[in-house]
Amino acid sequence: MARRDPRRLSRRQFALLGTQVAAAVVTVLLGIPIVGFLISPLFRREQAVWRQVGDIAGVPDRQPTKFEVAFPLGEWTNANVNLAVYVVKINADYRVFSNVCTHMQCPVRWEDGLRQFLCPCHGGLYDMTGNNVGGPPPKPLPQYVHRIDGTTLFIQNRFTESI
Amino acid sequence: MGRIAAAYNWFDERTAIRSLIRKGLYEAVPVRGAWFYTLGSATLVLILLQLITGIFLTLLYVPSVTEAWASLHYLSQHDAFGSIVRGIHLWSAYILLFVIGLHMVRTFFSGSYKRPRELNWVTGVGLFVLVLAMAITGAFLPWDQAAYWTAVVVTNIAVYTPFIGSFLRALWRGADTVGPTTLSRTFGIHVWLIPAILFPLIGAHLALLRKHGEFGSYVNYRGAYRSREGVDVPPAPKQRPIEPPYPAVPTDELWAAPLETEDFYPHQTFKDGVVSAALVILVFILAVAIGAPLEAIADPATTSYTPVPEWFFLPLDELLLLVPQQLIPLVLVLPTGGVLLLLALPFIDRDPERNPFERPAVMVPGAFAVLFVVILTLLGSGRLFNL
Amino acid sequence: MSELIALVGPALHMLAAELPSQAPQGHNRIAAQAAIGSLFSLHILIAGLVSGAGELGPAIEFLGFVRQRRRYDRLAHGLGRFVTLYFSFSSAIAILLITVLLVGYWGRFWTTIVTIGWWPLFIEAWTFVLQVSLAYIWYYTWEPLRAFKGLHMAIGGLLAIASFLQVYMIDIIASYMLTPTNPQNPLRLALNPTSYPLTVHRTVGNLAYIGFAFGAFCAIRFLRARNPEDKAFYDWAGSFGLLWGVAMTLLQPIVGYSYAKEIQLHSYGSWYKMMFGTLSPVFLWQITLLGIMFITATLYFGRRLRTDGARGSGLLRAMSVGLVLTTLLAAMPYHLGFTYADVAAAGLDRPFWEGGLINPLGSMIPWKVLALMFYTLIAIAAVVWYLRGLPGVVWGGARRGEQRILMLMAVLTMLMIVTMGFIRENSRGPFLISGQMTIEGQQNTQNPQPTPTP
Repeated sequence: MARRDPRRLSRRQFALLGTQVAAAVVTVLLGIPIVGFLISPLFRREQAVWRQVGDIAGVPDRQPTKFEVAFPLGEWTNANVNLAVYVVKINADYRVFSNVCTHMQCPVRWEDGLRQFLCPCHGGLYDMTGNNVGGPPPKPLPQYVHRIDGTTLFIQNRFTESI
Repeated sequence: MGRIAAAYNWFDERTAIRSLIRKGLYEAVPVRGAWFYTLGSATLVLILLQLITGIFLTLLYVPSVTEAWASLHYLSQHDAFGSIVRGIHLWSAYILLFVIGLHMVRTFFSGSYKRPRELNWVTGVGLFVLVLAMAITGAFLPWDQAAYWTAVVVTNIAVYTPFIGSFLRALWRGADTVGPTTLSRTFGIHVWLIPAILFPLIGAHLALLRKHGEFGSYVNYRGAYRSREGVDVPPAPKQRPIEPPYPAVPTDELWAAPLETEDFYPHQTFKDGVVSAALVILVFILAVAIGAPLEAIADPATTSYTPVPEWFFLPLDELLLLVPQQLIPLVLVLPTGGVLLLLALPFIDRDPERNPFERPAVMVPGAFAVLFVVILTLLGSGRLFNL
Repeated sequence: MSELIALVGPALHMLAAELPSQAPQGHNRIAAQAAIGSLFSLHILIAGLVSGAGELGPAIEFLGFVRQRRRYDRLAHGLGRFVTLYFSFSSAIAILLITVLLVGYWGRFWTTIVTIGWWPLFIEAWTFVLQVSLAYIWYYTWEPLRAFKGLHMAIGGLLAIASFLQVYMIDIIASYMLTPTNPQNPLRLALNPTSYPLTVHRTVGNLAYIGFAFGAFCAIRFLRARNPEDKAFYDWAGSFGLLWGVAMTLLQPIVGYSYAKEIQLHSYGSWYKMMFGTLSPVFLWQITLLGIMFITATLYFGRRLRTDGARGSGLLRAMSVGLVLTTLLAAMPYHLGFTYADVAAAGLDRPFWEGGLINPLGSMIPWKVLALMFYTLIAIAAVVWYLRGLPGVVWGGARRGEQRILMLMAVLTMLMIVTMGFIRENSRGPFLISGQMTIEGQQNTQNPQPTPTP
């Protein structure tokens, strides 16, 4: 039998290579759109919208007051979702907090007995100025991006610092 | 030869169904401790229960934030049988988690994960993790208050992964916050993605079981071969000759075939049937008497609702409470490390000794791990009781 | 004789004039607190052993039965003997404490707490009866019931349950004092926020304590033993006791930490006092003590294996170095100041009574918590490594050094228990029942009883 030229593909090697190339083509052609589909929401920018919270002239001093504002739920739906807004007036200064705990994003509530915001899930505590003063929360209570026209408060559905 | 027998022969000639059934039913299993092996078959029965009721629930459920709660609410108001199906789906999931835990603990204490059954254990750990993932993703789907806040907390844990935390959270949520995409994705994971891995893995687990046979209990082997000290003990008289799948020549110095075996069918199937039927009856009673709860529709603006985790999530929730703010990633490290340790167990502990009282170096840390989870669960439930 | 009376008589009269006619209320509260505190510490040191032996003894008997080892049986029998001998001593102190000191000094408090916790105290009284009867039956039927080991172990199981219930019932009272709930609801009372964590903490602690204690006892007996059989037994029992002790102590950081967490959620003032306030130096001492205990135990493990040339002693020595490093981590200050401004900002330039930092070494969080986790992990590894090496050990060949370590461990444990009790009882101060009753105003017996009008 004649010695095989090492530079030439044998029949068997050709078949092997062909199978591998076919598998690679299928994987790439399927993989790119699937992975892209999976991670595409990460690159979609959510359109920030302004909504009116209401008149804050009646908010008492040093007494967090809760408002609810409807924002579009977003993505393909037409529905709205309500977000909670805690408005805290300290002297002439207003702070606009959300009810989202920075630990595990549970719903924070104002406890009059404690004079603190309490997260009922894992006992996180925030003082009136939003500082995390007890329990596991790693950051202060998030504040909404807001503006005040006269005595009317408007907020955007995003925080000043992402959590 | 009757017609039926003839038809059966015709069919057998084309499919070899007869030998398949024979192989499936007539296999030797150890006599001692057989009631403990029913935990495995009970797990299988409960998973199948999940599959069946889950398929039928998709006939009505709509995976959309505006419709999910409404469709289940409609079910609870207008469809008594549908409510029972949902109840069975929930309660069999709860009992499945409990039984799969018992099955794992039994395997651990009886040392059944040792050579040659290491891969049975590894696939079993995989199944355990997947079943947990099914339970957690399933808890998102009703989109009531409990489901919504479970979704928020569970997906938010991912954010504490170093470097890629917020990427992982957004990947699951489909956005920065829990919303419509979160529910769609979780639904897809719950009904397609995990089952597509889960069921083949069950097949592998069972195939490996049939290859090596049930280990049973060390009691089955007492005096069968050499004792640990190397003194030859004559094998005790066997009631039956060794038969497949047990090898006549031991795979290690101590353990090969149990002293006493019996046929899988009908002896083992009887015990399996009794336990499984009892569990299914229990599930049915719970489904009819208690049913699956549905709280008010999800409301992110609530300041009065106190999220309470599912009971199987309690140890992790208690850990979330205990870990101080500087060390929160520990909540991810501990369970991940635990699962890795479980996967590595048969490769770390290679001593052929199976008697749980003679291998304290494995039993003591194992008991610690079980105690740790139990204590966290009890402390968590105590905390919720006093809320 | 009459001279003697003439001599002693006036002295007695003088003394009698100086003695208070009633319980010394109000004017020497510090003395009362010291008396109650020290007697309670003594009581807990013995009672912890008794209830621990009542739980561990039956467990060891069961282990001996399944492993078919004679020495387990001998050890369990010894623990039974201990319970029968010391039960009455511990209860005598308890009765003295209640009837004389608590009722005498803090009558109002005691009446209140008995009214609130009537059911737990009622059950508590009966568990005493149950425990002492079962302990005697268990101990004295050892040989007669040898052929009926199952029955005998069942009696032991009941003894363990009685011992546990006893601890649980008194813990309901003790935890209620720290975290009171609605006393009208017996379920709320029995499951008040800290009752469950405290019970687990104390039960596990008692089991650890009895392990360390009989370890030390066996160390002394080993040094005195002459025949090889006794030597082998005491050598093994000492090592076994230490293993139990360390294994149980390992659980304590987790249980104790969640106990502290419940205190944080339901009695914030007490928690702050322990973690950041005046009690935080004591708490630091406690963590250091825990570290010393683990280091000492690991030293024993390493030495015992090395004596018989068993495998694993080298790694155990590395583990004790790791534990020493962890103790250094625990001692790391929370504030690291490199300039004088940093130091002043951290409050280190002035004493704490002028508003400076109470505890320059830092409070519990976060380094101490991290150190606790490392302690637990390394100690688990040490236990596992020791267990792996044990098949290579021949019992009876231990040296004196190991026995000294065992005795040291028991002393450290006692220090630990007293420190723990000190912290727990002082964290509540000035309250006897958190937020409800203070130590002041207990001397109501001085107020005249209103005369009943016929």
